Amino acid sequence: MSRVAIVGVGHSKFGRRTDVNIAELAFESIKQAVDDAGVDKKDIKNVFLGSAGTWNEESLPAVIVNEYAGLDSVGTMRVEAACASGSAALKSAYNSIVCGEGDVALAVGVEKMSEVDTPTSVELIGRAGSYMWEFENYGMTFPAYYALYAVAHMNKYGTTEEDMARVSVKAHHYGAMNSNAQFQKEITLENALNSQVISWPLKLYDACPLTDGSASVILASEEVAKKLTDTPVWVKGIGYSSDSANLSRRSDYVGLEAAAQAAKRAYSAAKLTPQDIDVATVHDCFTIAELMAYEDLGFCKKGEGAKMIREGQTELGGRIPVNLDGGLKAKGHPIGATGVSMAVEITRQLRGEAGRRQAPIKKGMGLIHNVGGTGHYAYVTILSRN
Amino acid sequence: MAEMPVLHSRRSLTLRFDIPISKTHEFWNALKEGRFVTTKCSKCGNVSFPPQADCPKCMKNEFVWVNVGPEATLLTFTQVQVAPASFTSNDSYIIAIGEFPGSLKVLAWLEGVEPKKVKPGMKLRVEARASKEGNPYYVFLPN
Repeated sequence: MSRVAIVGVGHSKFGRRTDVNIAELAFESIKQAVDDAGVDKKDIKNVFLGSAGTWNEESLPAVIVNEYAGLDSVGTMRVEAACASGSAALKSAYNSIVCGEGDVALAVGVEKMSEVDTPTSVELIGRAGSYMWEFENYGMTFPAYYALYAVAHMNKYGTTEEDMARVSVKAHHYGAMNSNAQFQKEITLENALNSQVISWPLKLYDACPLTDGSASVILASEEVAKKLTDTPVWVKGIGYSSDSANLSRRSDYVGLEAAAQAAKRAYSAAKLTPQDIDVATVHDCFTIAELMAYEDLGFCKKGEGAKMIREGQTELGGRIPVNLDGGLKAKGHPIGATGVSMAVEITRQLRGEAGRRQAPIKKGMGLIHNVGGTGHYAYVTILSRN
Repeated sequence: MAEMPVLHSRRSLTLRFDIPISKTHEFWNALKEGRFVTTKCSKCGNVSFPPQADCPKCMKNEFVWVNVGPEATLLTFTQVQVAPASFTSNDSYIIAIGEFPGSLKVLAWLEGVEPKKVKPGMKLRVEARASKEGNPYYVFLPN
């Protein structure tokens, strides 16, 4: 099968961006990616926009964004896989090139979440489960969904609130080194443990914030990629899977089966094992989600996620550094942008452009773990320098 | 970042859905009578919760209603402190997932117990409730 590379990346400042509308926000990362790739925008044949939507006034964001950026007559669609919409957009862009629909494609992820008030935002996200059976009568929230997993994980494996707080401390540590992050401030274990309880045992500092942001990657066929750049980052393997919407139909609450499946498929597609990965971004929408991700990705055995964070195995200098961009927790989580933002980070890591946050790259492999909903969707994408 | 000028839109949108329940009407009717039932496929015997007319296992659409329970075991729970907009008038609430015999799992509020006394493994029973609008729903109680 033909090879596809990431040849350009762009990333907006994440945060409460009341200075821009959705098109202006998307444009920031699109422009950077076009410049970074050194392509003529006329050569972009197809545009895949990852956005979960409903937080802002525009119902058809793909065409709004394309119109603003002057991406005329492109093949386009909005791609939705909840919080994994960005990875789904990247996969769609990848597919378009593999299928010969054009040599250059753009995957852009964007979310504009601050245009509605916080309770409304909590409601919109909370409804993204199985509405009839979980929201109508019971008012589920996203923190509540992940809290159900946290309690089960604590009960089965002895994971503690302090273990989860450590994930938050790590996220803020690296977020403080990322000029695009929403929160660029170190926190202490005490700050995290003493923060407001939002859905016990999860506290404010266990949760990612509501974020506005965009990220873009430009992908190209092998032939075009080699003309454009000396540092193409190849899409080595993509695995994706899904699980039930209704939590009552899941087999257990100590890991995300969709993510474990997606990981298995991605490793298989890339012909790699977890030991081959130099650096990773994982979907830490809540701190417990990062600990489960270590396990679902095979970075450690089932139930040993907390041990990894306690031992610093996922910090710079550890066995496999994770979320050196601050993760969803500190960098922010603009739903549809997150998967693309992760691809931007891993591309920069593999190119050796991450500055103070640079991981040692030995085998040239980076991994993106992006979960939609509470494990409704999962995408694992492996990128390679080679 | 300093607050930027924004256009506070003059147009607001209220969404209220009429959700079809004709195929599972018996579930809601039984609940009004205090019975907690679900669907069992007449062909392959698969029991579904939530109830559904079309079997997700064999795709046949012949089924019977069967009683669920009576006793469940609490698998996991949480107490919601920050509620969605349409629940902000409620006090904080406990959400639990209970497992009935046959691995049938149900998510519902857990009432009648102090949050600090809730533990995985505790025994639960399900009880019918009605909202002030008259819509039936169900909650867990310690058994």
